[in-house]
Amino acid sequence: MAHIILRHRDIPELNTLPVYQRNGGFAAFKKAVTGMKPEEVTAVVKNSGLRGRGGAGFPTGMKWGFMDNNNWPHYVVANADESEPGTFKDREIMEGNPFQFLEGVAIASYAVGANAAYVYLRGEFWQVAAFLDQKIEEMEQAGFLGDKLFGTDYSLRIYTHLGAGAYICGEETALLESIEGKRGQPRLRPPFPPSFGLYGKPTVVNNVETLTNVPLILENDADWYKSLGTADSAGVKVFSLSGRVKKPGNYELPFGTTFRELIYTHGGGIIDDRPVKGIMAAGASSSIIVADEKALDTPMDYASVRTLGGDLGSASVIVLDDTIGIDWVVNKTIHFFKHESCGKCTPCREGNYWMQHLTERIHSGQGDASDVELLNSVARQMQGKCLCALGEFATMAVVTGIERFPEDFSVKTRV
Amino acid sequence: MRKQVRLTIDDRQITAPAGTLIVNAAKQIGIDIPVFCYHPKMEPVGMCRMCLVEVGRPIIDRNTGQPVLEDGQPKIQFGPKLETACTTPVSEGMVVRGMSEKAKAGQNEIVEFLLTSHPLDCPICDKGGECPLQNLTMEHGPGKSRFLYDEKFHLEKRVPLGDLIFLDRERCIQCARCIRFQDEIAGEPVIGFYNRGRATDIVTYTDPGFDSVFSGNTTDICPVGALTTSDFRFGARTWELKSTASVCGQCPVGCNIVFNTRREAKADGRIVIKRVMPRQNEQVNEIWLCDKGRFAYHYTENGARLSRPLVKKNGKLEASSWDEAAAIAGGKLRSADGEVVVLASGRLSNEDLFNLKSLADGLGGKALLYTQMGGGDLTARFGVGAGTNFGEMGAGTTILVAASDLYNEAPVWHLRVKGAAKRGATVIVANGRETKLDAFAKYVVRYAYGDEVETINGLQQKEKIGEAITSAENLVVLFGSDGLGLNGTSNLAAACAELVQGRAGKPNNGLIGVWPKANDQGAWEIGFRPTDDLSSELKGKTVYVVAADPAGDDPQLAAALKEAKFVIAQELFQTATADLADVVLPAQAYTERDGSFTSGERRAQRFYAAVPAFGESQADYAITALVADAAGVELADSAGQVFENLVVTVEAFAGLTYEILAETAEQWPVVGRGDMYYGGTTYENTRGLGAHLVGWGERGETASRPRVQEETELRPKEGQWLAVPVTKLYDQGLTVRSSKLLESHIGAATVTLHPEAAKRLGAGAGELVEISLNGTTAQVSVLLDETVSASVALLPRGMGLPISGPVVAGLKKV
Amino acid sequence: MLKELGRGLLTTFKMLLEGPVTTSYPEEKREVRPRFRGRHVLKRYDNGLEKCIGCSLCAAACPADAIFVEASENTDEERYSPGERYASTYEINMLRCIYCGFCEDACPTEAVVLGDNYELSFTDRHDAIYTKDLLLEPASEGRPTTPQTVEPGVYTRSVPQMENPKD
Repeated sequence: MAHIILRHRDIPELNTLPVYQRNGGFAAFKKAVTGMKPEEVTAVVKNSGLRGRGGAGFPTGMKWGFMDNNNWPHYVVANADESEPGTFKDREIMEGNPFQFLEGVAIASYAVGANAAYVYLRGEFWQVAAFLDQKIEEMEQAGFLGDKLFGTDYSLRIYTHLGAGAYICGEETALLESIEGKRGQPRLRPPFPPSFGLYGKPTVVNNVETLTNVPLILENDADWYKSLGTADSAGVKVFSLSGRVKKPGNYELPFGTTFRELIYTHGGGIIDDRPVKGIMAAGASSSIIVADEKALDTPMDYASVRTLGGDLGSASVIVLDDTIGIDWVVNKTIHFFKHESCGKCTPCREGNYWMQHLTERIHSGQGDASDVELLNSVARQMQGKCLCALGEFATMAVVTGIERFPEDFSVKTRV
Repeated sequence: MRKQVRLTIDDRQITAPAGTLIVNAAKQIGIDIPVFCYHPKMEPVGMCRMCLVEVGRPIIDRNTGQPVLEDGQPKIQFGPKLETACTTPVSEGMVVRGMSEKAKAGQNEIVEFLLTSHPLDCPICDKGGECPLQNLTMEHGPGKSRFLYDEKFHLEKRVPLGDLIFLDRERCIQCARCIRFQDEIAGEPVIGFYNRGRATDIVTYTDPGFDSVFSGNTTDICPVGALTTSDFRFGARTWELKSTASVCGQCPVGCNIVFNTRREAKADGRIVIKRVMPRQNEQVNEIWLCDKGRFAYHYTENGARLSRPLVKKNGKLEASSWDEAAAIAGGKLRSADGEVVVLASGRLSNEDLFNLKSLADGLGGKALLYTQMGGGDLTARFGVGAGTNFGEMGAGTTILVAASDLYNEAPVWHLRVKGAAKRGATVIVANGRETKLDAFAKYVVRYAYGDEVETINGLQQKEKIGEAITSAENLVVLFGSDGLGLNGTSNLAAACAELVQGRAGKPNNGLIGVWPKANDQGAWEIGFRPTDDLSSELKGKTVYVVAADPAGDDPQLAAALKEAKFVIAQELFQTATADLADVVLPAQAYTERDGSFTSGERRAQRFYAAVPAFGESQADYAITALVADAAGVELADSAGQVFENLVVTVEAFAGLTYEILAETAEQWPVVGRGDMYYGGTTYENTRGLGAHLVGWGERGETASRPRVQEETELRPKEGQWLAVPVTKLYDQGLTVRSSKLLESHIGAATVTLHPEAAKRLGAGAGELVEISLNGTTAQVSVLLDETVSASVALLPRGMGLPISGPVVAGLKKV
Repeated sequence: MLKELGRGLLTTFKMLLEGPVTTSYPEEKREVRPRFRGRHVLKRYDNGLEKCIGCSLCAAACPADAIFVEASENTDEERYSPGERYASTYEINMLRCIYCGFCEDACPTEAVVLGDNYELSFTDRHDAIYTKDLLLEPASEGRPTTPQTVEPGVYTRSVPQMENPKD
């Protein structure tokens, strides 16, 4: 099947403007601006069943529809702060298929009536940012961005913005704070960005992959997109496969593909052909799924993964085999979250610091059974109290790891 | 009025305006939901997560829009997660459980988290005993720590953020109250967070550090002992302190304060003031205090104070007894045959001033106010009405600040005017230079010094500004003495009074004088008047100088005093005037006695004796009574009696009693009670909110009066400069300079010039230049300011240079 | 009759042979019980630093209001105790003291200890006020007394753990 998102794998040099244009580039944007009302664009996206690819899986069209039309101007922000360990899809999209992504940004902007859009990239993506800047300039010169596009009154400009290297800026409100020049810390919600976003104005924040879907949805139609994937999760998804697999990488597959197919067919199986032990379906912030036969045969869509006690999230599938100690995984993720906690709310700031001491102790074999119990208790104590989702994410691997892989914790600890 | 909603908090039914936060709605009915980061004066941020409660909302039937009923009651659905009471507004039918097991568990768990990083060094912490974290740990903390003590995060404990505020990095719980205060309320974001996660740290952005005159307030609202003042650092344990209500005597705002006192071995066993804390008065200072009010009190404890009466014998002042000194002074006053001048300043209380005025009247002499600012007769007539409250001003109110640098002259008014601007009030600043209030003003009017009156007169003709003034629902005009002397301010006051004359007497309308002294307004009300030729008034007279140092301020006045027939000086210190005096009478500081001040808003407020008298000193009103007795005039000698006499004599005070001034009322937000965590350590007001003087505005008098002519032509010639006096918050005044803490803030005399003008002079920033004015020359260092006009030199008052009003001066490079 | 007399004398003679039950105080002093509460002593660590941190909790706990404490800040040039705070004034009025030992209980650093000295007599009320120099125990043999000049950054913990004041 031809790619929808990773089209550059089928079409060489798609990241150059002439090639992109030859392959139907900007037709959708032009169609929208010249022939459709913004509400119609939103309706198409809504009907397509497109859901956010950043992790939360919120219906994209519905989000666009929430924009407060009594408060102007509106903004569109593309979240390219791809910081989740195990996620590396957005970078490939932006490097390989930049115009389709930028066209998606442009269509979203038209749909919500925004005249300025921002692409927020993590600080380490400075090369990508420079590359995008160049592409944006090319689009401006070609008349796809700027004032009075396609002879209409619609104007749009896209700007890139580099973060300073904080995981938390992937949280949409922290991202907005960061663009505003403030500390990258999440805001209180509600109000949500569609009513109070960038500079206090209604703002749509969408993931890079989400927006990259949009041009083709508009070009084909909602039903075409819906026909891909499952009833609950329409369309295709780029799965970032990593961990103990032979062929890690990004794989664009329809929703509903099973874990087994992803790991064995596409990923080439496990290194040294060892058995799969666990799967983290949403990067470091995911629950650890016990990779039994049933789990491997579970289709990857939002609802099905949930039945396994996990979340598909951004579909960053990290595969763990039996050489990996779950205590090690937990220690690793907690180190990450302790380092990335922004410090705004107490449970996350203090809880991660505390958990890090405990996981370190347990992993190094210095801990005892009470430390495992305490770790579990601290993690549960954090749940449901944090200001943003990061604090909740931090506890996922800990709680599920201890619950589902108790032997990995008892072996290491002194009795 | 906002829509009222009904809700239930911990089984108690209440109604609250829609939009009220749960934590405040609970507080209003006496239910304490614990908080750390939330503060009722600031926007909620929901950071600390301490206020977690269970919130249930009625289930609404989607078809009918009506609540689903269960057993006749609306069915309530509780969310799966606890919600923060400080960020969640109340809604109709809401049910809040703050005491349920689930909510309690959530709160307890947050305290446990906070304690994992906290050093638990309560025994040496200055906040110990009045610490929200300590209190909430008692209530919510685990009995036993699950966190290993060895794994504690250790950080620096002694970090001076500025020279007045210290930070203990370990104790900080990252609630950002201090940062938010500086940003939202003070409007000076000089501190902020640095780094992230557990390493989050408070840093200062300025050099010198924590460069704000409101810095002390952050220590009040800090919910732990992370921020402490260098003044009180390890000074005493809070439970050992006695508190006495008082009113700050540093500026006309009249902030309500509390003196915390304790007997000290270091002070030879005397009872001394350990710290000054704000006392809540929502109509005056809310719960804030500026650093001058907080730290400048040390002058009252200076060992150099006068402790005994002195009498000049053989050309030398020698220690004497009260009887002798009073007899001599009284005798001279009696025999002066009406050629008596009583010269007093607004540093004195209403009682002192009234007795002095009565003495002057009794002897047929003059009662002169020692000041460089006029217009008090107009503020007495067109002053703001009873019920005026900057805290309630918002949209519909216009505040004009004319020739006043509120930040330096009356910092808490600056803060409150800024607050009003934030709530939508139109603030207009008219000044000859940039002031800190400009940033919050809607309109800034810049004039050339000398054009103040024309500028004010012309405001109504301006399109938008005129509209803002004439069509304002409420109009308050504050005028000051920035760049002006006695005549200039008198003229300015008249111009300002014309703007408000139709409105005077109404709440939130009228004229306010930003006086140099705390009780100048009271002095005017009681009948003291300044004179523009003090020198000639003093010559040949029997002069009774109280709380003023004309000889120290101006060599010309010193010369005039030398020519006086007899000089009685009543002071705290041996001033230059006291050096010239024939009799020196030691007065008590206002911390040592009872009395009352009248604020610039015409609010009479009582203060109480906090510490015992220094040496043999006596209260000013009592000394005056003693002297008057010897002069044959009978005066009361207790504060209460004097006030009773004052009330029946001076119409503006009619109807007031000490009891009325001591009355209190419920105030919002509730502060200073057991729940330190809600409002901070500001004291609750239990000793009086004060009362407004009787308004004169309703008599329909008009403000216009003939303009006083300026004496000198103020157009400097080529090579000359127009030296303009401005006010510096920390000056070398008697009531500031002996506070060691403020030394670096006081500094030496400066002159502020435009960079270009300074270049012409050949002087750079920080270099010394020689200035000559009013017959004196002095060396001052240069500051540069681009907003000053080219031929103008700004000179701060009270820094050793004799400048009372604008004057032509010469400058040259040293 | 004689029999009774003899029995009485027997007791007398028996007692004559036994030693006296009294001690010749003050030449001879009786050992006090381990939990005896006598005059207070302010303790030091082995390195000579004072244990007292001037927290005034003893004064707060004192039911007789007999203790007065005033604190000051340590510097590394002039260090009295570990941490930031030390007692610059420490006074106990022995006439007020009821030897209840609450001060000892309240002390977070075990600095104030009720010792075994019970020989307290005064001819003047003022003599009953024991100042810090009277209460503070001398530094142990060969150890420096206070104030000490120490390396910066060593004694940073205000309420040190008991074994090692550096911690």
